Amino acid sequence: MNEHENSQLEAAVHRELKALPNLRAPQSLLPRVMEVIEQRATSPWYRRDWQTWPLPLQVISMSVLLAAFAGLCFESWQVVHVPAVVSATNEAGGWFRVLSRSLSTFGVVANALLLAVRSLGPLTLSGIIMALLLGYAACVGFGTLYVRLAFARR
Amino acid sequence: MTDAHEFETFMRNYQDMVFSTAMRLLANQAEAEDVAQDVFLKAYERFGDLRESKTAGGWLKTVATNLSLNYLSRYRSRWSFFSDLLGKRREEDDSAEIDFPASDNVEEDLVRSERREMVEQALRTLPPAQRVPLVLFHMEGLQYDEIATKLGVSLGKVKTDIFRARETLRRKLRLKLGDENPAGAL
Repeated sequence: MNEHENSQLEAAVHRELKALPNLRAPQSLLPRVMEVIEQRATSPWYRRDWQTWPLPLQVISMSVLLAAFAGLCFESWQVVHVPAVVSATNEAGGWFRVLSRSLSTFGVVANALLLAVRSLGPLTLSGIIMALLLGYAACVGFGTLYVRLAFARR
Repeated sequence: MTDAHEFETFMRNYQDMVFSTAMRLLANQAEAEDVAQDVFLKAYERFGDLRESKTAGGWLKTVATNLSLNYLSRYRSRWSFFSDLLGKRREEDDSAEIDFPASDNVEEDLVRSERREMVEQALRTLPPAQRVPLVLFHMEGLQYDEIATKLGVSLGKVKTDIFRARETLRRKLRLKLGDENPAGAL
């Protein structure tokens, strides 16, 4: 399709669509909307959106919230400087230091193991893995056999 | 006259326009009714400004368009997948043309109303990925770049989708180009 045909098609479609009148809204739309409006109007203020609350209540609720937030900030600041809290914080810091040391020890051990595994070579490593798998399979097999025999005697 | 009564009159004046806007974008009566309800509930919240406003119709149309697009984008991952999937199948089915009554034999009004119903039907059967940009371009008067921004897709995709939609309508409605009148059109 060339540019000329394209613009002709655009015009034809535009003509068709622009000629469409509005569709008739369903009869149920108006009662539905009015019902919701009535429900909202009759519901108590605290169940409505905050924006629709009476202005004095909006001011009061906002003040209470701001006061609570300010109080929380102030109390948090105070608590941080209480000696008991300071010592508890230090103690917690000590625990974290112990944890950090344990983690570094674990890291060193893991690295040593990794080095040992690398030095074994692929053949030895696959042999060990095979032996472990065989051992696991033997445990499962013998265990199953034992259970079946034990229950068969009953 | 109370606010509620006044709003009822206001709603009667605009409900067809709001419903049509939503219906042509969503192509689903139940969803369009839900969107229209939300539009009027928003309008009620601002009724103090809207009741005297000369641009109330434009405001309602914009809100209806935006809420319909929000509705579609909420389910976009679902519908875009299916629209791509179904689009091909629908394009194959597009060969089925709609038969128009011959305008010589029937009353002019009847022909016109049937023709409109056929256009509505053809519009409804377009995949959403084509219908939405087409409606926004031809019926809501948006430009390609505005549509791309609204839908969050590339300009190229908008142009391609609109082109495909026009082609589909052309086949379905047997639109003739040039100086010839479209089949069945008055």
